[in-house]
Amino acid sequence: MNDYPLRVPDASEVTCDDPGVRQWVADWLASWRIAPPGRLSLRISVSDVAVGEADEREPFRQPLVEIRSGPPHNDLRIRWLAGNAIAVLDPKEPRADIIIAPAALADRERLQQTFLVAVVVFLLRRAGWHHVHGAIARDRAGREWLLAGDAKAGKSTTAALLATHGWSVGTDDLTFLAAADDAVDAHAPHIPIALREGGAALLAARGGAPARGGRKQAFFPEELGGSFASRARPTILMFPRVEGAVTRIEPLTPGAALAELVKWSAWVALEPEFAQLHLDLLAALARQARAFRLSLGPDLFEGKDLLMSLVP
Amino acid sequence: MTTRYTLHPELRLTRLGDEGVALHLGSRRYFTVSETGVDILEALKTPSTLADIVARLTSSYDVTPELAEKSARDFLDNGRRHGLLHVEDAP
Repeated sequence: MNDYPLRVPDASEVTCDDPGVRQWVADWLASWRIAPPGRLSLRISVSDVAVGEADEREPFRQPLVEIRSGPPHNDLRIRWLAGNAIAVLDPKEPRADIIIAPAALADRERLQQTFLVAVVVFLLRRAGWHHVHGAIARDRAGREWLLAGDAKAGKSTTAALLATHGWSVGTDDLTFLAAADDAVDAHAPHIPIALREGGAALLAARGGAPARGGRKQAFFPEELGGSFASRARPTILMFPRVEGAVTRIEPLTPGAALAELVKWSAWVALEPEFAQLHLDLLAALARQARAFRLSLGPDLFEGKDLLMSLVP
Repeated sequence: MTTRYTLHPELRLTRLGDEGVALHLGSRRYFTVSETGVDILEALKTPSTLADIVARLTSSYDVTPELAEKSARDFLDNGRRHGLLHVEDAP
């Protein structure tokens, strides 16, 4: 399917009492180049007000954030654990009220990559886009893939490698599934692929920008010789893991593929009113695509067409 | 004493061909379920007894009442153990 144009209508409305912070968040969201069906609203306040309001609900923890949802408040609250910042999201509409303490702004990279990303993930859910840990890719034959798995599955290195082979790829970890006609589409924000030092060395990748506090190097697919895929209608699902000496695939039943997709959609179980929609989207995707477990061996780096040849 | 089983309100279910996945929003655990299991869980959206489930299985599948009862009993015991069901004993 066609990618979005380089410029898309502004998908968000950001307000803030601090014009610098407003511009920073608005520019960051605009850089994602996404076009969800609803407009996201972020009302930000920079304030010293204590944000640690008592909330007895059982938290769901992700790196540096705690998420609480359900009764008695019935909203969704995301709290940053590396500093004082909290977001309260409307139960249904893509609207968030956010308070950020001035001191928290000293670490903007982490604030963005953990707290604000989580806020946007849940705002997009309210607009009909549901998150999966995965990367989309379009091979040189035009077939569209989704590689799903956790941070250690080899997704990022594989996505970057495919870009060096001339594929179109999305970002390595943030993909959003949405119902479209009678199919499921996958959308990717324009965020660079973050590689550990070893991954970048394997690809002989040069350039990029430091990310995650300098622990990783981030590359856009365009910098690696590929192009950016902003959306796809996957017909091939891959669940990679690094193991063995030889790269190989093993077919999965639709049911096994669904179980894998649930595993890599960590937030599917939050918010009862969205969980069934999310789960049904994952099932529709498992129905739409052929699925494989992908064992990644070192030979992956030797043959340019290896992955394409494995899937006839 | 009659025991009635109902789907736990925090359970979400999706069917995919001849299998499915049940997702428990409370424990955030998911379970792959066979076609028969999905049928039973869908039936439990309304309170049902073991006899109700057995009747449903024998009308849907080519199975003896004895085997249907054993399968249903095993499934309900497992479902109860994993918190997928509400169980109510009524006089």
